[in-house]
Amino acid sequence: MTVRNTRNRKRNRILRRMLECAALLSLCLLSGCWDKLELEEQAFVVVIGLDKGPRNTVEVTFQIANPQIGSSDIGTAEGEPPSDTIRFTSSDILSAKELANTVITRTINFAHLKTMIVSEELARDEIFPHIAGAAIRDPELRREVAMIVSREKAFDFIMKNRPRLETRPHKYYELMQQRWMETGYVPFSTLNQYLQQQVTDSMFLAIYATARQHNHRVSRHEDAYLAGQVPKRAGDPVQMIGAAVFHNGRMVGTLTGEQMRWVQMLRHKASVDAFITSFSDPLEEDAMVTVRLFKNGNTKIKFDLRKEVPRIHVTLPLRIQLLSFTSLEPYATDPEMQRMLIKHLKEQIESELLEVIRLSQKKFPGDPFEWELFARKHFMTMPAYQAYGWSKHFKKAKVDVKVELRLENFGKQRTPYMQTKRKEG
Amino acid sequence: MTTRQDGKTELSAQLAANLERLKRDFSWPQNQSLVIRNLVVAALKRDAAVLYLEGAADIEEIERRIIEPLVARGPSEFKNADPLDVVRLEIVTHRTGKAAETFDEINGDLLNGWTVLLIEGADRALLFETRGFESRQVPEPIVEHVIRGPKEAFTESAAFNRSLVRKYLRDRHLVAETLTIGDRAASEVTLMYVKDLADPNIVDEVKRRIREVRTDAVTSLPLLEQYIDENPYSLVPNALHTERPDRACAFLLEGHVILLMDNSPAAMVLPITLWSLVHSAEDHYMRWAYSNFMRIIRLLALFVAVLTPSVYIAVSTFHEEMIPSDLLLAIAATREKVPFPALLEVLLMEFAFELVREAAIRVPTVIGPTIGIVGALILGQAAVEANIISPILVVIVAITGISSFTIPEPSLNVTVRITRFILLFAGAFMGFYGIALALACILAYLTTYTSYGVPFLSPLTPHYRSSADMILRLPVHKERIRPHNLNPRDAVRRPERKSKP
Repeated sequence: MTVRNTRNRKRNRILRRMLECAALLSLCLLSGCWDKLELEEQAFVVVIGLDKGPRNTVEVTFQIANPQIGSSDIGTAEGEPPSDTIRFTSSDILSAKELANTVITRTINFAHLKTMIVSEELARDEIFPHIAGAAIRDPELRREVAMIVSREKAFDFIMKNRPRLETRPHKYYELMQQRWMETGYVPFSTLNQYLQQQVTDSMFLAIYATARQHNHRVSRHEDAYLAGQVPKRAGDPVQMIGAAVFHNGRMVGTLTGEQMRWVQMLRHKASVDAFITSFSDPLEEDAMVTVRLFKNGNTKIKFDLRKEVPRIHVTLPLRIQLLSFTSLEPYATDPEMQRMLIKHLKEQIESELLEVIRLSQKKFPGDPFEWELFARKHFMTMPAYQAYGWSKHFKKAKVDVKVELRLENFGKQRTPYMQTKRKEG
Repeated sequence: MTTRQDGKTELSAQLAANLERLKRDFSWPQNQSLVIRNLVVAALKRDAAVLYLEGAADIEEIERRIIEPLVARGPSEFKNADPLDVVRLEIVTHRTGKAAETFDEINGDLLNGWTVLLIEGADRALLFETRGFESRQVPEPIVEHVIRGPKEAFTESAAFNRSLVRKYLRDRHLVAETLTIGDRAASEVTLMYVKDLADPNIVDEVKRRIREVRTDAVTSLPLLEQYIDENPYSLVPNALHTERPDRACAFLLEGHVILLMDNSPAAMVLPITLWSLVHSAEDHYMRWAYSNFMRIIRLLALFVAVLTPSVYIAVSTFHEEMIPSDLLLAIAATREKVPFPALLEVLLMEFAFELVREAAIRVPTVIGPTIGIVGALILGQAAVEANIISPILVVIVAITGISSFTIPEPSLNVTVRITRFILLFAGAFMGFYGIALALACILAYLTTYTSYGVPFLSPLTPHYRSSADMILRLPVHKERIRPHNLNPRDAVRRPERKSKP
């Protein structure tokens, strides 16, 4: 009896072992592996261009990085270009991705897509929100992709963009994105923001760019340009300045680089902390004063929404460093003149801000300052806010702007030499 | 010559018969190891014979302390009547001396280096401890090398090792129990523990397992470790070998048990936890911040050693979006001319690295240095140039290899190397998902693993009170509590100081 029991137990144990092994094996065989793809079997799309095609189609341009150029000394392939650009006409981005494999030997991968360039023509078209929305159904396509609106066809833009200092296209966009954050000439715009702000009352601002020189004009304000207007010679033809304004997913207008900067400042939290700009000199008509502006805390926005014409009070704290003034007036030594200068700058900034606000009230169907987020707080429920209709009221609103300006210093020098001497004397 | 009831043969009163029996037992004269020196005890006017095993006994000691007094001492008045007592108490000047009645006892002691004195007319023999096995001088530690701290290491002599332990830990509660294992060539195992610290259950458990060993001969500690291991198939070690007496004492003071054996230049520490395996001897000789810095480095190295190849495979074949674009393109560019999939590449390189490592251990020391050069040159540079592997793999395998060298314990080192392959396959099958699954399984296993009843990850999990000497350590003055996972009989290292100095 006992012998049989032991034998049974032994057999059971072996059976269990075999079952365990089978389970483990099936785990290996039934799972994973299909997504597996070696790096060199994939083509990494760095830039996507979108143009309007015939009969509700889109022309999708892929710029595919060639890993063998400029990345590693060992794997270099002589004579190959750093990237390949191909255009397909298709109903949307994802079908174009499949179609691309009729030409490209490797699996198209969007995982390293940095930038999406949309032609102004398509951006203003009613089908654009659908095309952009459908694209992100592919998990590979990241929402952090930067969105740029080009004045000409995206295909031309990509073809013309030949940065001199960067061989590889992804590096160009990576570096440009960092510069955008610093100068504030263009908004920080990603696909994610575009999708988010489709459903809100604020407007989405996208980077505005062109690879073509439009009307070459020289402004005394170095930043009052749209893309294509920047006076420059030689170099890469691409310029990025100003913003394309979107409402409900469609482009409705543009902002110049200067306006863009003030919009950034008027937002509660600016994505740009400091920029250099210039104003006219209070004492001399033709002379300019160049200053570096810092945002000195968050913009305070107060609403009075009880009346039919809402009132909005905006307080913008700013710090400035005086960098240069061509009038050569003794601002540094004379406190009286400094006070005058500050007053003058303050008035100028306030008028520029008001101009931007007035412009957006007049020309755009919503507010680009994201004030909507603060206006919402004045309503108990979301339906109450929606019933109020922020965009409609914003257009009528009376806005006053107050700038709190502090002159920090005259550039590098802490105290002017003359003042130090006077104190000692 | 009579055989007793317990099977042991008693000595007879005739010297010749006794000698004959011993010669037969040791296959004399074929076996020249048994040395028989006939002499006459002048004081008693009797024939006698001194026997010892060449190599086992210290010849000089025998000559000076035993033979010389026996021969030189003339007849005189003796206090004792029994000739054996006369010789033992009044003639021989050797520090030991005991009487034996059976041949079994004599044979055993002869093998351990004792000297036998047979006297005509006496039916007992006198035994003197004259152990003189050849042994090394106290060497420097080779494996557990430290910059700061004692530079003494255990040798192959258990008596010597015991004296080293006692030198470092002068505590009257330090107990050295001797157990015998093996049927053919019985060997002695010394079990050392501090009686008022070590948990009696652990001590009993260790003793029980040693007694249960049923085999001919257990010649050294590493073999004994495997005989008394409760999970012989497990990848995780169950005991720790240290060649440093100071480290052995540190373990004794925490309530661990150590085993010593002849022919093993190490002490085996039982039970162990993961922490004892990853700590180094130096951790407590450096100041708090320094040793924690080293511990963090070693911890990171442990993760690097376990995970790097699998993470590389997972990232490069499943999650390419995680690699920065520049690196991605660089890898893709170099991979373009490589004919193998990334997994095979890693396996090739890992295999080559394991080859170099194994070869470096097995190769005679004279040609040892060439292995390193050949390995580095051929495997790295040449393989890349021949487009067999991509350059990033040299970096990955090298960093993995270097990291695995920082793991101080050789058993854990092998564990890590094997685990790396398991994770590598998991990563190649299912990417990060697979790695996470495999890691979860490994963690689950480690939490259930025990060493002599002590959970392997304790006192972290399951949690016990301790001085938190695990991943990091506290300054020494705060390490007051002994780890409670060992159930020490004395919980605190010393009474709490009332006021700060």
